[in-house]
Amino acid sequence: MLVPIFTLKLNHKVVPQTVAVGKYDGRHPALTCATTGGKVLVHSPHTKRQEYNQDISLLNINQQITSLAAGRLDPEADGDLLVVGSPTNILVYDINNNRDVFYKDCPDGANTVIIGMLGSFTSPLTLVGGNCSIQGYNKLGEDTFWTVTGDNVRSLCLADFDGDGMNELIVGSEDYDIRIFREDEIIAEMTETEVITNLCRLNEYRFGYALSNGTVGVYDGSIRAWRIKSKNRAVTTHGFDLNGDGVLELITGWSNGKIDARSDKTGEVIFKDNFDHSIAGIVQADYRLDSNAKGDQLICVSVEGEVKGFNPATGEVGTTLMNTNVEQETIRELSLRKQNLMLELKNYAENSKLALSGEAAVLAAALSGDLGRKNGAQGKGGFPGLKGLMPGGNSSGFDTSGGGGDGALRPGQTGLIAGQSSGGAPMGPGGQLALAGLLGSPGHSLIPGGQSQSGEFPNFKLGASSLGESGRTMGMIPANTQLETSILVNPGNQNVPPFVELKIATTNDTIIRAALIFAEGIFEGESHVIHPSAAAVSNSVSVPLIPPKDVPVDLHIKAMIGQKNSSHFHVFELTRELPRFSMFVLVDNEQPDPRSSVHFTLNERPQRAFMWLNQNFLLSQNLVCEGDLHVTFFSLRGSGLLRIRMSQAGQFAIHTDDMDLAGNVIQSLAEFLKIEDLQTIVDFPVETETLKQILIKVDELHRVRTKLTAEMADHSNLIRSMVVRAEDARIMGDMKSMRRGYMELSDLNRDLVAGYNIRCNNHQELVLGLKQINQIIQKASRVRVGKYKNQVVTLCRTAIKNNNTSSLFKIINTGVA
Amino acid sequence: MMQLDLTRVDYLQVGITCQKTMQVLPLTSKTQKIVVGDNDGQLQCFGLRKGQVQTLFQASKKNQISRVVLGGQIGGVRDRIFTSAGTEVNAFTKKGKNFLTFDTGITEPVQSIYVEGTDLLACGNFGFNHYCDCKESSYFLSSDKINDVICLPREKWNGLTPVLACQDRVLRVLQGSDVLYEAEVPGPPVVVELFGNNGGDEGNEILYGTSDGRIGLMQIGTLAPVHRWELPNMKRAGGVLCLDSYDITADGVLDLLVGRDDGQVEVYSYDEANEPVFRYCYTGSESITSVKGGVVAAAGFDEIVCANYAGWVFALTTEQLVKEVGLQKAAPDPVVTAKISNLKSELEGLQKQVSDERAKYHESAHSTKTVSAVPFFPINDKFVLNKDDASYSLSLELQSPIDNILLQSDVPVDLLDIEKNSAVVSYSACNPEDGNFLLATYRCQANTTRLEMKIRSIEGQYGTLQVYVTPRIQPKTCQLKQYPIKPLSLHQRIHAFDENRPHNTLTLKGQFSQAEVHSWLTFCLPEIPERPPAMDPAVFYFASTFLDTQLLCLYRKGEAVFKSDNISSISILKDVLSKEATKKKIRLDISFDINDDSVTHTLRLIHPKLEEQLLLAKKVQLIDALKELQVNEPDLSFMAPEYQEILKESEKLKAEFKRQPSHLERLYGMITDLYIDKFKFKGQNVKSKVPALLELLDTYELDSLIAFFENSA
Repeated sequence: MLVPIFTLKLNHKVVPQTVAVGKYDGRHPALTCATTGGKVLVHSPHTKRQEYNQDISLLNINQQITSLAAGRLDPEADGDLLVVGSPTNILVYDINNNRDVFYKDCPDGANTVIIGMLGSFTSPLTLVGGNCSIQGYNKLGEDTFWTVTGDNVRSLCLADFDGDGMNELIVGSEDYDIRIFREDEIIAEMTETEVITNLCRLNEYRFGYALSNGTVGVYDGSIRAWRIKSKNRAVTTHGFDLNGDGVLELITGWSNGKIDARSDKTGEVIFKDNFDHSIAGIVQADYRLDSNAKGDQLICVSVEGEVKGFNPATGEVGTTLMNTNVEQETIRELSLRKQNLMLELKNYAENSKLALSGEAAVLAAALSGDLGRKNGAQGKGGFPGLKGLMPGGNSSGFDTSGGGGDGALRPGQTGLIAGQSSGGAPMGPGGQLALAGLLGSPGHSLIPGGQSQSGEFPNFKLGASSLGESGRTMGMIPANTQLETSILVNPGNQNVPPFVELKIATTNDTIIRAALIFAEGIFEGESHVIHPSAAAVSNSVSVPLIPPKDVPVDLHIKAMIGQKNSSHFHVFELTRELPRFSMFVLVDNEQPDPRSSVHFTLNERPQRAFMWLNQNFLLSQNLVCEGDLHVTFFSLRGSGLLRIRMSQAGQFAIHTDDMDLAGNVIQSLAEFLKIEDLQTIVDFPVETETLKQILIKVDELHRVRTKLTAEMADHSNLIRSMVVRAEDARIMGDMKSMRRGYMELSDLNRDLVAGYNIRCNNHQELVLGLKQINQIIQKASRVRVGKYKNQVVTLCRTAIKNNNTSSLFKIINTGVA
Repeated sequence: MMQLDLTRVDYLQVGITCQKTMQVLPLTSKTQKIVVGDNDGQLQCFGLRKGQVQTLFQASKKNQISRVVLGGQIGGVRDRIFTSAGTEVNAFTKKGKNFLTFDTGITEPVQSIYVEGTDLLACGNFGFNHYCDCKESSYFLSSDKINDVICLPREKWNGLTPVLACQDRVLRVLQGSDVLYEAEVPGPPVVVELFGNNGGDEGNEILYGTSDGRIGLMQIGTLAPVHRWELPNMKRAGGVLCLDSYDITADGVLDLLVGRDDGQVEVYSYDEANEPVFRYCYTGSESITSVKGGVVAAAGFDEIVCANYAGWVFALTTEQLVKEVGLQKAAPDPVVTAKISNLKSELEGLQKQVSDERAKYHESAHSTKTVSAVPFFPINDKFVLNKDDASYSLSLELQSPIDNILLQSDVPVDLLDIEKNSAVVSYSACNPEDGNFLLATYRCQANTTRLEMKIRSIEGQYGTLQVYVTPRIQPKTCQLKQYPIKPLSLHQRIHAFDENRPHNTLTLKGQFSQAEVHSWLTFCLPEIPERPPAMDPAVFYFASTFLDTQLLCLYRKGEAVFKSDNISSISILKDVLSKEATKKKIRLDISFDINDDSVTHTLRLIHPKLEEQLLLAKKVQLIDALKELQVNEPDLSFMAPEYQEILKESEKLKAEFKRQPSHLERLYGMITDLYIDKFKFKGQNVKSKVPALLELLDTYELDSLIAFFENSA
């Protein structure tokens, strides 16, 4: 059992995610964190300040502190430097010598900062993640690195992702994407399901991440190794070898005060502990400076300032960090499995008992002679593109089970398991293959239990009368009941916005009492429930889906199937994939081209492009290749037409007014066709015009800002003199002048406050403008692939730096300067 | 005080167990034996040798075993095992000889029994029977469900004095077939035990545990009860299911062992004043159905033996099983290793069997004639009103892990998060037109067999809460459970009525029977016994858990009278009852007598609560600002004492504030209802004035509020 080797109370609140530890004098570690009121707290137990004889000192920043880092930015200096990020600037401060190293305005804000070596840079950098941009400063405050991402940067981490011996930068942003930058080139991009709030490096190519919805996981390279989800939120993650086996574990600090350590390979919990309050940060340092200590301790800090330090375990084989008896645990787990298997067996035994009696009823019913018709109808019926699956297929386990540090988890991308294990049938494009491989026989849909068809089957009623009651309450259903699903685009009407319609239906008279759909990113929570009112239950339900983004989504469907009024249902589970571009409906080619377009040439036949179309769009039937490709879609999200053309010669054109969409199409196409580099010619007059406007506006805002700053300086001079004058008057006893003086001062103060508000608004607009510029650059880069993609970012950056607007437009249009 | 350090050891697993179906036999050799009965009707007696379970005897009955108690000669050792299953009571010697099978002949299954010498007390849901030498000697019909039965020890009390724990919050003390008196307890008592296993010095002290988690000691005097102490449920722990007295701390004084339905096992010692003091708590994940102290595994080591709902019999032992504390691993125990490998091979066999069956089941789907029917699985559920925060707790427990739970409600209710739940909850958008006011899913972690939810209802809005439970067992099925949200859902039964308050009266007259009006009341109010009471007229008292207003229901054939100081309760009853009567096509003469003073009275009742909440909210608001000042100022003595107080108690204030989410809004809602209802009875619609009322509440003052109520006619 691992117990804290030290605990202490800082007696100050700690702002989450702003905890760092630095050896500011080069030898003694000091815990540093942001506290209330724009202050930085430094806890230095080893270098007590004589004058106060206390180990906590406070630095006044007088600004909201958004991020904090400590590290050896200057290898020649005595010790670590402290970097403090605020919404408008960063400050690099040398605590040991009590001096500012540099101070930089960051209009993009500093959401997160880290210090470390990046790529081929020879000296350490301070990397600042802001509003769509990442900037890197060296020890002199020169910004030697700059790049953009799709949205606000929320987390940064340095790790050698590809094993080339140099660090790559891992960036998590608010558009749910994790991007890996080899300097300013994006070498990998992974889409997650929520805002990425945390990233931390682990062993080799692995890194851990946390999302704002309570998910924590590990990527091995660009493949997700495992993830778990908890109802609590992970505040911070850290890689630390707690059990002494030489491998870093993923340590997570949760909003409910829990910390847990999980194996980086499997996600198994090897240690957990509890604080009374949410965790604010986890760091590591040799905090006791104990010569016997084997290395760093893991230091956890809560928002209320409680600190606990843990020594890693000795690393002997079979050691356990938790106070559990391994054998007892094993026995309990095995017994549990045994019990579950026994219960399942019991289910089958009971089922066959009932099925026998049920058979008799069915036979009686068969006399009614209606069976044949039903059979025939069912064998062929069904929806285009359906998959059916019986209950009893292997569990589909919505993929993020486990979490909260309770040891429950599913390694791997279990999302797919449902599809694979249940049917074993391969999934064809568009989901055309019936997955009903398990039990596909057509059949009889009579219900022993005497439902409404009394007129039709008199014999049946007689035969089944003995079974009636038990059949109903037990939710007995014909064994060959199948579940059919179809996904169609519903263009909506005046009152109903367009949506994608998922239709679930049973193949007989059994009803669907409720349907649960678990999917990530398309509902408010993680699930959506369809529960028709008791009068409206039928054998089918329809679920409107509105995917907010163009990403493929796995829908895990659980349908509760039974009889009307029964209190017991069979649960059918199946998984369907919603294609990436599901919010588009195919229309004819008659309408004129949208104004904007992207042109490029591919070394491919149109057939391949057709395959891509069939896989990524929701089509009622597969498009077949007939010479040139020329299709038009209408976006249900209101971004107008999307026309895709491709000639036999490989001339490809995408016509749409939405640059973002064009980028999505190109990225998806490139991924499908495995294109590494692609240069394109784009023409987006609207977007260009917007950019022009924004640039003008930003310029203007900058001017206003300068003016306002000058005004403020004037005012403050004035204030100084007025205070002196008023105080003089007071000392002289000239109350009248003093009064007047202070009145004036008060007026001026009001002016200042008003001025400040203007500056605030100005600043906000400026930030917005800059964000938009960054986003347009990002969009422009996304319509290219590979090295051309990065080239656009670099060139645009240079153009903006040199204030060369015309060149900026050229870069956006052609991809070259 | 010595720290209790107990380690959990699992002994064996049987089927689902009922409350109090496990006993530890008296010491005969070095160690004691355990006897346990389960819902499959299996009775098993076993001991342990070197950690291995050694079964002494087994017996099987057709019906589920509802109780296992020990009996013996008066004053002698209790070493005979009595079980109740169905309507039958069986007795076994400690060797397993079934020396008595006795059919009680009562119509309902026996729920609880107690044996004292040759006297057998057996209770069904409502009936109490006393058999002496298997001959019926007295009978009593309780007006509400009997949860447990006990009698005072005969060696100290000459006559037989049975005590029934009844659902309507009373302990009924009997004499022969008559009630000697009723002793009110703070919650519905679920379990009663003799204090110190012998009833204390005078043999008349009994411990009780309630379903809302309280424990108390009561002295059953000859004429009236004396409440000795009561442990409130401060930590909001689960309901008590079992109690025992055993000296686990080895200090020569018996300790109190408590088993709760949220999986907690607690140990309390007694201080000098004989008041219980908390000592130890073990938190499991399944309901603890029985708890007993004893020496079972190894001589000299006391342990707490527990049985839980899922059928695990386990012990919390004082023996140190992990020899070296710390990171070093104890050498693997050969016995345990053998046990594990045994289990493993057993599992393999089962696995194969299951996959065969699974294939067969899937095969059956190809047949056109078969049906698929999966049996019901037992759900241990509880839906109770919490008095402290006027909300409902819903707990669901299965034998197997839960996969997911879907909650659906056709009335507006709030679903509150419970900290200790690990399940991920997700709210789904819902459309009231489909009858959905709440749709939420709980996706559970692996191995979650028990889930708790908290639901807040609004009085006057009634309907049904439906819960679909899907366990993680193949073939996947789900079961529906329904819980009514009653119109006066926040009311609780009480046994006294204050006549001095100003009351509003509602009188209904018409052609209805007492049973009919009883069923309407059951529809309106919680905690009404299923059976119509035999009294004429029948009287029930209720109190609102939220406002402390009271309600009297008095009814007989053709007439029903309701009295309450809260005009809203009367208004709700009037609406619902007239609707129900219309449904049954019964004509009702409704008359009411509204006392205007009652509104002021209710406002005065609300006043202290509201003021307290407002003050609390204000204080909590100040905490952060004060804290910031604290950071800046080394010396805080300049601050006003009230601010210093706030700082000092900030944690406590915050915790309290967190414990009562949206309490203030609920109070505002009640006041608004009161306002609307007052004028509704006068035939005026004042909905348009509600915004003005809310504005007034923002700057709350009792007098101006009362004035507003009185003047805005």
